[in-house]
Order: sequence, then structure tokens, then C-alpha cells
Amino acid sequence: MLNDKITVTPKHEQAADVIIDFMGEEIKPKFIIAIGGEVGSGKSTLAYALAMKFKKQGLRSKIVDLDDFYKVSPLERKQWRRDNGIESVGSDEYDWGKIIHVINDFYEDNTSVMPCVDLITNYVDEIKTSFKGVDLMIINGLYATKIEKADLRVFIELTYDETKEAQVFGGKEEITAFRKQILEREHQMVQALKAGCDLFFDFDANLDKYHL
Amino acid sequence: MLGDVLLITEKHQIAGQAILEYVLANRKEKMMIAISGESGSGKTELAHVVAKGLRKHGIMAKPLHIDNYYRIHPLQRTEWRKSHGIENVVGPGEYDWETLRRNIKEFKEGKPSTGPCVDLVTEQIDQLTTDYSGIDMLIIDGLYAIKTENVDVRVFIELTYHETKKAQAVRGKEPQNEYRMKVLETEHQQVQALKSSADIFIGMDYAFRLA
Repeated sequence: MLNDKITVTPKHEQAADVIIDFMGEEIKPKFIIAIGGEVGSGKSTLAYALAMKFKKQGLRSKIVDLDDFYKVSPLERKQWRRDNGIESVGSDEYDWGKIIHVINDFYEDNTSVMPCVDLITNYVDEIKTSFKGVDLMIINGLYATKIEKADLRVFIELTYDETKEAQVFGGKEEITAFRKQILEREHQMVQALKAGCDLFFDFDANLDKYHL
Repeated sequence: MLGDVLLITEKHQIAGQAILEYVLANRKEKMMIAISGESGSGKTELAHVVAKGLRKHGIMAKPLHIDNYYRIHPLQRTEWRKSHGIENVVGPGEYDWETLRRNIKEFKEGKPSTGPCVDLVTEQIDQLTTDYSGIDMLIIDGLYAIKTENVDVRVFIELTYHETKKAQAVRGKEPQNEYRMKVLETEHQQVQALKSSADIFIGMDYAFRLA
């Protein structure tokens, strides 16, 4: 993601410390941390806070945002979802083949090409990165914990209710009935992934960015 | 840049709105806006706010951050500067203007373009490819951004590093030390030398004024 707004709070810092404690002294080479959870719960902020802590320990981590891997681009997604109906919303919207390819590149120290959404233009750029010397990959996204190769799964809660949503999305975009349906469906699907996770947090976050 | 933390405050929103209005009033195709100012003066924040504002008017503006174009890798820069003498090397010459010019040319031609993109988390230089066919404007920010040829609107932020030391510490980008202070002083002199070419000033209080 380019031009993502990140506001790290002490809660994110503390959560990052908890994760590092949980991982212990010995971190296996090419470690993958998956951060999943609700929309606007602070996944990418936690990924950033965590990566910066690893950096202080001399460990390099590449942050990968799953929202870069939607099969349909941000500018076309709304219409695409309308055309295909609410059942089209879910983890199948992501290009898992491409994600797995990037993970393999990470394991093999390869140079990898991946999509990168510019949140200002909403266009999909492409980023070429070398995974040589990169120790950890921190993958965040609604369904990130589905990734089989993940060594650690973190889940972030956000109590979903209409009142909160109205506050969070207030004024940013009209909440249509369809948007409500999407959020409810994503919520159900995300909650279903909770069982397989290792650590859980709840930042009670205020959403600073909002994109479909 | 990947992993850059922006601290956007009300002052950026207000100044950004004024710049936006100026840009809309002087709008042209494939327009180029440049924002210069010292380290920590809020260039990137301002570029972000202006780009977002333009988007609301249906104009696709792409921020282009000149710090991606340093010729010396972030991890080697301190050593390189020290060994060559800070006062000798700190300045516009540290940047790869040739690549920047190529990216600008490709923006003007509406072509896909590949340029450097620093990941501040891994401290690696990735390569970013953007298709400029749908991009209407470029907002270039960087210490010496207004030096760039063919810029249509030159914005100069007057805040100096003396006023922004605090901002630097908050951002935690780099530790404050003697080396850093010497770099900031050299940059200060180089940046201030560009001031006369600006079309718009953002004052010490972040107020907008035309040159």
C-alpha cells in the first residue's frame, strides 16, 4: 500500500511487545506472521509497530498487505460486487495464487513483483522487491490467518455494531444497504477464522482510512 | 516511500486547501506541482493533502517523493557523507536527477514508469512501476523539489530546521546528534538558496501567500 495513513498508539506498541514475547528468543528463519481480523481494527498499524520493533533487534521484516492482492481493482470493485451479488464478497476475491507465489519468493530469497495499491489514486502500481536478507514477513488482511504457511496467527477484534460503524464511517461515505451487507458478511467470515489463531487483541480502533 | 508515517494536522489541511484552490484556478494538463522545504517541515503531509483534495475534484494526482532518489543507499549514506565531508556532498547532487527526469518524462507521455521506492521498514530500495496513463498531475516533494525543470507550481515551506527539531524528534526518523545537526544546517543553506524561485510560500505559521 502506498499512502496508507498509520497512527501507532501505545496499545499497538504493547501488542507488538506481547507478540515478540510470545515468539520467544529463537525465531526460525523466514518467519511468517499473519495478522487477521475485522475491517478497521488496526491490522496494518500493528504490522508496522511490530516491524519497527524487529528492526531495532536487527531483524528485517517486509510488510505485505493482502488488500493489494484483490483480483478486481479498487476502482472497479464496488460495481463488480454489485454485479456479482453479496455472495461474491469473501476470501475468493483475493488472488491467492499470487500471494503464495510471493511467499515462495520470500522463502527462496528471490526478487518478487507484487501489486501495490496507491490509496490516493486508487490505482494498482507494481512493486519489485528483493527478499534477500529479509527475515520475517508480516502479512495483514481480513483473511490473512488463512495462510497455511503462517508460523504465528494474530487476530484483532472489533466489536461490530451499527452505532460504531456510523461513527467510524461517519461522513466519509454514505453507508448503503449493500455496504452494510458487505460488512456483515465480512464480519461473519472473519469471525470464522478466529478459532485457528494464537493471539488476540482488541484496540477498539477508530478507523482512519476507509476503502472498499 | 513505503512505511513512512505522516502526521497530518489541521495546519496541513488549511494550507493544502489554499494550494488546491490555486492549482484548480491555474489548472492545466499533466500539471506539475513541487513542494520544497527543510527536513520535517511537512512537505510530504502537504503533498498528501493536496493529492487527496484533487481526487475529490476528479483529478488523479500522484505524489512523487524525491527522497526515493538518493544515489547512496540509506544504510550507507551516513558513512558516505562523513567520509566525503558533509559540507562537500550534502545537497542536490546527492539525488539521481536523471532517473527522476525519466519518470517525469514518462508521466508527461502517459506511459508506465519504473522508479525507486524506499521501504523505510526494511531499508531497502524497491522498484515501483506506475502506469501514468490515468494520472493527471504530479506532486513532487523533497528538499530541492522546486529545482526540478518544467514545474508549473512551486511551493516553498518557510519553516526551518530550528523550528522543526521538535517535529523530527516526534517522528523519530533519525536520532538527533552532531552529525545530523551538521546535515540539517547544510541542507538549510541549500534549501534557502532556492526560495526566490517559489510561486507560493507557506509561512512560519503555515499561512499561504503568493510570491
